[in-house]
Amino acid sequence: MTAGNGRPGHIGEAERPALLGALRGLLAPCLLGWVIAAASIAGLVGLWELVVRANDIPHWKLPAPSGVGEELWESKGLLLRHTWVTLKEVLVGFAIALASGTLLAALISQWRTLERVIYPGVIASQTIPIIVIAPLLLIWVGYGIQHKVIVVALISFFPIVVNTVDGLRSTDPDMINLLRTLGAKRWQVFAKAQAPAAMPFLFSGIKIGVTVSVIGAVIGEWVGSSEGLGYLAIRSQSQFLTERVYAASVLLCLMGILLFLIVGVLERLMLPWYHDQRRRRVLD
Amino acid sequence: MTDVKIELRGVHKSFGVNARRVPVLEGVDFHADEGEFVSVIGPSGSGKTTLLNTIAGLEQPGAGSVELDGVLVTQRLGLVAYMQQKDLLMPWRTVLDNAILGLEVQGVPRREARARALDLVDTFGLRGFEKEYPNTLSGGMRQRAAFLRTVLVGRDVLLLDEPFGALDALTRAQMQEWLMELWGSLGKTIVLVTHDVDEALLLSDRVYLLTSRPGRVKMVIDVELPRPRHHDMSTHEAFLTIKAHMVAALREESLLAGEEPWR
Repeated sequence: MTAGNGRPGHIGEAERPALLGALRGLLAPCLLGWVIAAASIAGLVGLWELVVRANDIPHWKLPAPSGVGEELWESKGLLLRHTWVTLKEVLVGFAIALASGTLLAALISQWRTLERVIYPGVIASQTIPIIVIAPLLLIWVGYGIQHKVIVVALISFFPIVVNTVDGLRSTDPDMINLLRTLGAKRWQVFAKAQAPAAMPFLFSGIKIGVTVSVIGAVIGEWVGSSEGLGYLAIRSQSQFLTERVYAASVLLCLMGILLFLIVGVLERLMLPWYHDQRRRRVLD
Repeated sequence: MTDVKIELRGVHKSFGVNARRVPVLEGVDFHADEGEFVSVIGPSGSGKTTLLNTIAGLEQPGAGSVELDGVLVTQRLGLVAYMQQKDLLMPWRTVLDNAILGLEVQGVPRREARARALDLVDTFGLRGFEKEYPNTLSGGMRQRAAFLRTVLVGRDVLLLDEPFGALDALTRAQMQEWLMELWGSLGKTIVLVTHDVDEALLLSDRVYLLTSRPGRVKMVIDVELPRPRHHDMSTHEAFLTIKAHMVAALREESLLAGEEPWR
């Protein structure tokens, strides 16, 4: 905020075209970054293939990437069915975590007493290993999708709450005073200053939350399930269908990456001001 | 006979710092008439901002009274327009939507509020930047956007806390002339806090000079320079005489507070 004040007249009409040019200059190395990333992954996969073939490693011990690829293609129907099950668990569980997490964060930020009552519980929920809670949940809610959904919600709830509470607290107190002098009521201060200021933090929480959601679903499936990629992986492992274990892992990994990217795109669309600001900092 | 817009009587204020009471204002008497331009000047730490916070209702006086339009009011939030030292533009709102913040809080529909703001963008030199985010603006423009937000609230009293403090000398001079014009056309009561003697003299009808902490009124100067005023006046004899007087008083206070002498 003060950065703009410090350099009056620095960015004006005249400098906008230059800015666009600089942006293009920034995108080119970004593309280069993607190329480098893709090349390094391809290199690793190639090396893996080479090592497996050269040493004649049995496929049930370490399958070659080509074998995993073959499995992905041949069992695509089965894999897709289980992917859909896991994705459903992730999406429903995460949606619950998002809704309850933001609500709780809002309440905590408004009432200090509530913070003292609830926050320790929230932290405790995260320090007790989920692998311990998951079997207990099975006893309480049974074998169905609810069990997996709750594990997902539990694991992704924490980063959302903590980040959002931090975000709501990061609001400039002078900004809050400004709204007060405008005669704003408490809910208006929340809606017009605190909530928007917390949005970038909320998105950070969502990015972490959505990735650990996938882990949560797998843990839930391991503890008790008859479908889903996590279930498929553990069953295939006991049957020495190692290619299928790898294929399931690849799909889980892709799911996590894809969800992360979707959140990133949503963030760009919903908080254009935030990315604008960050880009400018890079350019400065 | 013009009406008294703001009247402070014997205002005391102290803050608790590490279980110790630090007095900030000690019996300040202050008034501003309708349509008057009044400045408050003093060494840093003399409680200038606390004075404005008190008028705005962000702080309550420990002792003494604050009257608006001749009535004692304790809940003053929302009754006067207050522009703080920082421009406090919201980075997530465009210039136009920052400007209408006060109207939104008052419950004016967005469409109508935006129309009212658009009527004023030319006056505030923001034409063509309505849809930009604040971080694309220069310091001077950010300040004008904050001004627009303050004026749009539609209050008779504007409190301005060192609005030009962060600007370079040239932009500051332009903004001062612009503010004088604006004040002439709006007919509002303005209370300006500054540490710039030239600025206070150039703009004001009356200047309150505060002592260093705790702040008391050391001197009240009626500036009887003709209007309209211009920056060339700062070399006139009448101007220089008052200035010398004020600088001497400020230097005395700064020395008492153990700070750098006033230039």
